[in-house]
Amino acid sequence: MNASTRRMDVEQAVEDLRHRTLSDIPRSLDRLIYLASMRDYNTGLYYHDGLASRFTQEVACQALADCHREAFNQLVACSLRELVGQMEEYINSTHTSPRNFVTAWRKLEPYRVAVPVETDPVVAHFLCSSFKIALAILEARLRSAPAEPVA
Amino acid sequence: MIQLIFFLSIGVLLFASLFFLARRNPRPEGSSGALIEARQALVALQAGLLPIELVQRIFAEQDWEYVRSESPAAVRELFMEERKKVALLWVDQVRAQIRSLSRFHRGSARSYARLNPRLEMELALGFAGLTFACRVLRVIVYVGGPYAAPRMVGAMANAASRTCKISEQSLAFLNAAQLGMLGGRSTGTAAL
Repeated sequence: MNASTRRMDVEQAVEDLRHRTLSDIPRSLDRLIYLASMRDYNTGLYYHDGLASRFTQEVACQALADCHREAFNQLVACSLRELVGQMEEYINSTHTSPRNFVTAWRKLEPYRVAVPVETDPVVAHFLCSSFKIALAILEARLRSAPAEPVA
Repeated sequence: MIQLIFFLSIGVLLFASLFFLARRNPRPEGSSGALIEARQALVALQAGLLPIELVQRIFAEQDWEYVRSESPAAVRELFMEERKKVALLWVDQVRAQIRSLSRFHRGSARSYARLNPRLEMELALGFAGLTFACRVLRVIVYVGGPYAAPRMVGAMANAASRTCKISEQSLAFLNAAQLGMLGGRSTGTAAL
């Protein structure tokens, strides 16, 4: 397979992924987390059975990597206000207690493993730093809000 | 006896200077390693550090306005601390990549006959100016915080982008396929 044919296949796979899967995930933050979870941390390769069956494993891997980079860049381009908004919506979508969520994210810093490979270290540091600030903002809001009713 | 000591001292000095000169640059100038390093520096600057969107995001005052209007003092403090770290990291990385590119041009100016001397002079001045500006900006950000010199940040990013373009132009004679081959050898799989 030559380079241009492969590139065309990857573009088709990216379109397929956007159309079938990512269209149901509107927020960049959710996309970033979803696409990062498709990556094997031992090899750095992405896996998606459906996409691999329609194309090839190699093309699917490249398409997922491209979409992951795209979601990451979209999040980097967000203002802090937008990032806090996306985090609030994400917390609501997980049906977790916001307090537990913020505590877990502050301790585990899961956003650090969601950074695509070959991202410039300054850009990666910038986004992780923005997450840290956004969590501090959310925590401050929760502290000033009345306590959650016990279920 | 004094003459012997004198000549021996000169001999030792010459030997020491030869030793240091030989150690100073173990990599032959114009080698593929130097070429890859220069290309990586250029890519890191043009694609990673200098895009206007990124510079605007790092130094965006609207984020500060948002934090200042909605958050308590502890969060405001954390915000300033974090943005200062990022700003200093950005300045340091820009300076490091500029120095790497400058090293390559200093070396290649002697190795490649096809380089344009006028462009190389222009680049040398550009690199010197940028290195100095980075040092000054670092001090300003360190002392005054990330929003202390917004105009200087913009001017420096523009100047660095211009210098990168001249550098790219200056190295245009290097075969793109050769660069791709060298780069491909060093960076591994595309998905990674």
